[in-house]
Formats: sequence, structure tokens, C-alpha cells
Amino acid sequence: MKRYGLYGLVSVGIVGLIGGIWWLLAHPTEGGFGPSFFISTGIFLLVFAAISLRWMHETAAALLGAAAVWLVHYIGGTFFPNLHIIDFEESMAFVDWNVIWLIMGMMIFMAMFSETGAINWVAFRIFRLAKGNAWLLMMSLVILTGVLSTFLNNLTAILLLVPLSIEIAQTVGIHPFTFVIPEVLASNIGGAATIIGDPPGTIVGSHLGLSFGEYLVNMAPIAILSMVPFLIIIGWLYRRELAGAKVQFSPTLVVRLEADALITDVPLLRKAGLVGLLMMILFLTGDYFGGMPPAVIALSGAAILVAWVRPDMHRMLREVDWTTLIFFIGIFVLVGGLEATGVIAWIAGIIGDLAGDNLSLATVLMVWLPGFASGIVDNIPFTVAALPVSDFLTAMIPGAENMVLYWALILGADLGGNSTIIGSAPNIVAVGLLGQAGYRLGFGRFMRDGVPVTIVTLLLATVWLLVRY
Amino acid sequence: MGKILCATRGGEASYPTQDAVIALAKNQGDELVFLCVVDMSFLNKTAAPVVVNVELGMEKLGHFQLVMAQERAAEQGLEAGGIVRMGHLREELVAVAEEIGATIIVMGSSLGPDATFEDAALQAFAADLQTETGVEVRILEHSD
Repeated sequence: MKRYGLYGLVSVGIVGLIGGIWWLLAHPTEGGFGPSFFISTGIFLLVFAAISLRWMHETAAALLGAAAVWLVHYIGGTFFPNLHIIDFEESMAFVDWNVIWLIMGMMIFMAMFSETGAINWVAFRIFRLAKGNAWLLMMSLVILTGVLSTFLNNLTAILLLVPLSIEIAQTVGIHPFTFVIPEVLASNIGGAATIIGDPPGTIVGSHLGLSFGEYLVNMAPIAILSMVPFLIIIGWLYRRELAGAKVQFSPTLVVRLEADALITDVPLLRKAGLVGLLMMILFLTGDYFGGMPPAVIALSGAAILVAWVRPDMHRMLREVDWTTLIFFIGIFVLVGGLEATGVIAWIAGIIGDLAGDNLSLATVLMVWLPGFASGIVDNIPFTVAALPVSDFLTAMIPGAENMVLYWALILGADLGGNSTIIGSAPNIVAVGLLGQAGYRLGFGRFMRDGVPVTIVTLLLATVWLLVRY
Repeated sequence: MGKILCATRGGEASYPTQDAVIALAKNQGDELVFLCVVDMSFLNKTAAPVVVNVELGMEKLGHFQLVMAQERAAEQGLEAGGIVRMGHLREELVAVAEEIGATIIVMGSSLGPDATFEDAALQAFAADLQTETGVEVRILEHSD
């Protein structure tokens, strides 16, 4: 009987849904919740679910969502005009090409720089200098990860450092989680410091037309400040593991470790180092040169390095991760659909009503809502969708023109990504890297470290934003 | 004299299997080869830019894991070989077993939090592998 009841309920639901859609199509609305409003929302939510629940590759989901928006617009819109969501040309205007070019330029530079082996060499020197002091070793590796995340990006820092960190942990006889989890958490904190450190920052910074320096001045202090309680927390959480580290190491393992940490291409390192330095100078002085966008600097640096090193261009272009760029374009198109159909304005209106004219309350909401969401959904589509909400609230709330709501969004999205293993790309990749070495990192185990760090750093960020802005 | 092929990833969960296979090789007077298969398909879980040569880093890590396993064998008086392959475990196990002329393929039955397989899945995997390679596949029981 229960089964028939369930069938009945499902049948009523389906009939209701079909009837509702038919009613919506037959009753065009002006400025209200038309069919395109619900359809664009439905497509976005489906893509979001597909990405967050790993139903399919993120890029495939975003691309499918963008295609669905256009198909509904063109085919559905031909028969029912109120199914118009956004046309192809309009949606291209929503793609932030500055983000695409910036990421592409940095990808080319990083692909070449990573071939030098310099980062692993530095990590091995740290191992040597620590002389068996596991506490010093962990803190140094974690700080190195945080610093690298600001200048390369957080995922690259993790990809470069984690394999060697697992080797180092095994050499000193402690569980690799002791180094790797804190490194992942540090990468998400460090990534918030610069416009190239983490995608949410890149998206927001580019949207605002910020230079590297403007972004750095506003975000680096809180990123550095957040490292202090973070280091205290991880030092305390891992005190027992660190106390149990070996003092005498296997000579065979140290030899192997050293062999894995050699600089593999000295001439390339010199060239990449010089170009990297030049890029950093330009990033910091971009305002002086007519507000040179970070994308121009990244692409110029990549172009100079390519011309100087003359790598195999086919291989070089293969190493550019096109899936990332297509993913970003797809997400921009999807959010463009949400903006064009009034969904974003509707959400912003709700948050605006909740916050009223109270900038402090709006700031708290803009830190903690993305902070919470980033732990359970992908923070890139979330940031792209939340950005127009920040625009709306900044325009509506007196005093918000100092951009505090944008900084709140970046900090919420970046720091919130530390709470779960699916919160950000470095977390997901680190789980895979550890798994390949025979160490399975589960959801709960990651949260044991991630949740307290997230709460403390978000609290600190909230206080800092309320005091400074 | 036979040749034992033992798939291992390293990590604490694999130590009991490594010790058991080392003892088995010594008892039977067989040659022992550890195989570490690095599967990079986990990178497909994210659209974030993966532009560094992660395969190289992971291959080095694979060699490091084998050095640890070989050192473990040496401590117990056995010289073991080591092979690192990139790809999927099943395909690489089949290929390497054929290449080296393995007479036994050994897998561990660890059921701890770091285990690769559930028990039933491991049994099924071993049975399939034995059918495909024609080589005896032995699951070493231990209780970690």
C-alpha cells in the first residue's frame, strides 16, 4: 500500500509540475517570476549539484548548462517568447575575459617554472635545515605553502609540494596528514592574499578592475594575520604526532629524497626567475603604468618566457589546462542567464531586506554565507553568482562604496573552502595525492582540522573587516 | 624458483602485506618484485588548472614508496625489486605480471581506513585477475 501511495504522490507531483509549467508558459509576466526565471534557476542549480556532488566533470557540467541556456532561449523562445533567457551575444558580454587571460598567462608561466624543480629543492633545504626538529619542519613547510600560494596559486603550490611532503613525512616517521592537511589549509589562506592566489579573488578583483597592488593592500594583511591563529591551532592539533617524530633517518631514504628534490633545469630556472621577478615588479607598480591589468602582466610574462626559452609550442599549449578556461566561460554564461532573468536581483533583494541599511550586518552575511557555502559547494560558481549580489548591495547600502562587501565575499569564499575536503580544488587534489600514497583522507578526518581553522579565520576576518572598513 | 609480484602503494596499511609477502618469498625461496601503480585519474575531479607535471612528482613518490618497501625487505634479509607504472591498477598488474613472468601475484587484505578494496571486492578482483593472467593470485590475510 505504501508503494502505491508513493506512486500516487509522485504522479500528483509530476502532473502539478507539468500543469505549473504550462500555466507559466500560457501566462507571460512582466518583470515578475516568468518561466525563464525558473528555468535559468533550475539549470544553474542542476549544474551546481552536478559539480558539487561530482556527477560529472565540472567543465562538462558548466558547458552543458551553458548549452541548455542557449537551447532553451533559441528553440523554446521561438514557440514561447517568455522562454527567452539570454542570447549568445549578450551572454558573451558576461564572460570576464580579464579572468580568462589572467589565468591563461599564469598557467603558461607556472607550467614552465614548475619544470625547474626549484620548489622541491627549497622544501628539501628546509628538511635539512630543520635537523630533525619536526615542529620547525612542519611550520616551515606550511609557511612555504602559504607564500607559494600567493605568487603561483594555491592549487599549483599543493601539486608541487604535497608529493615531496609525503616523502619527507615518511622519512621522519610521522603520518603524512601531519604535513599535508596543514599545507592544504595554508594554501587556501595564502591564496586569498593576492589576485592570482585563488579563483574567487581573481574573479572579484577582475570584476572590480583592481590592480595587483590594490588587491594586495586590502587582502594580504588579513591573510597574514589569519596565519597566526592557524599556526597555533595546527601546532596544538599535531603536537603528539610531532613529538613522536624520528631523530635518526634512514640514509637510503634521505638519498632518495635528495634525488627527488634536485633542480632539474638551471638555465630555465634563471630565465623563469628573472621573468617572474619582472612580473612581480610590474604587478606591484601596475598602477603607475595607467592601471595595467594583471592579465596583461601575466600574458606578457608568459610571452617573454616562451620567446626566451623556446619550448615546444605544441607541448606548451597542451599543458595549458583548457578545461579550466572552458569551465569559467560556462559559469559566466550561466550566471549571465541568472542576471538577465532577474534571479540575481531577486536574491540580492532578499539579502538587502535582511540587512536593511546596516552595513555591518551585510558584511557579516557576506562573509559567513559564502564561508558556509564554500564548504559544501564549489566556490567558483558560487563566487560568480554572488558577485552581482555584492554589486547590488554595494549600490543600495550607504557606506558600502569602500568595497567591504567584495572583500567579505573573497574572504568567505576562500577561507570557507577550508572546512571540508570538497571545499576547494587544493583539498580535492590533496585527497587524491594522499590516496595514491596509500593514505585515505576521509571527510571527517579533514573536518577535524578544517572546521576549527575555518571558524577561527572567518571570525578574525569578520572582526578585521568591521574594524578596518 | 618462482617470482612473486606484489602490488603496493606504500603507507602504513600496506606494511603488514609487505611483511607477509617478504616472509612468503623467503620461505619459498622466490624472487620478490614490488609494483606501485600511480593512477592520476583523481585529477579529473576538478576543473582547476593543473599545469604542473604532477605525473613526474607522483612517479618519484612511487619510487620512494618502493625504496621503503625494499628497505623493509632488506632488513629482513631479502633483496626485492621494484617497478613503478602510471595507469590503472588492473591493467598494469596484468601487463607487469606477463612482462616479468610472475608465478604468484600477491595482494593484501587490509580492511583498515586506508584499504583500497572492501573484502568482497578484493576477492572478486583477485578472481578476475587470476582468470585473465593465468597466474595464481593470493590474498594474504592479516588483521590490522
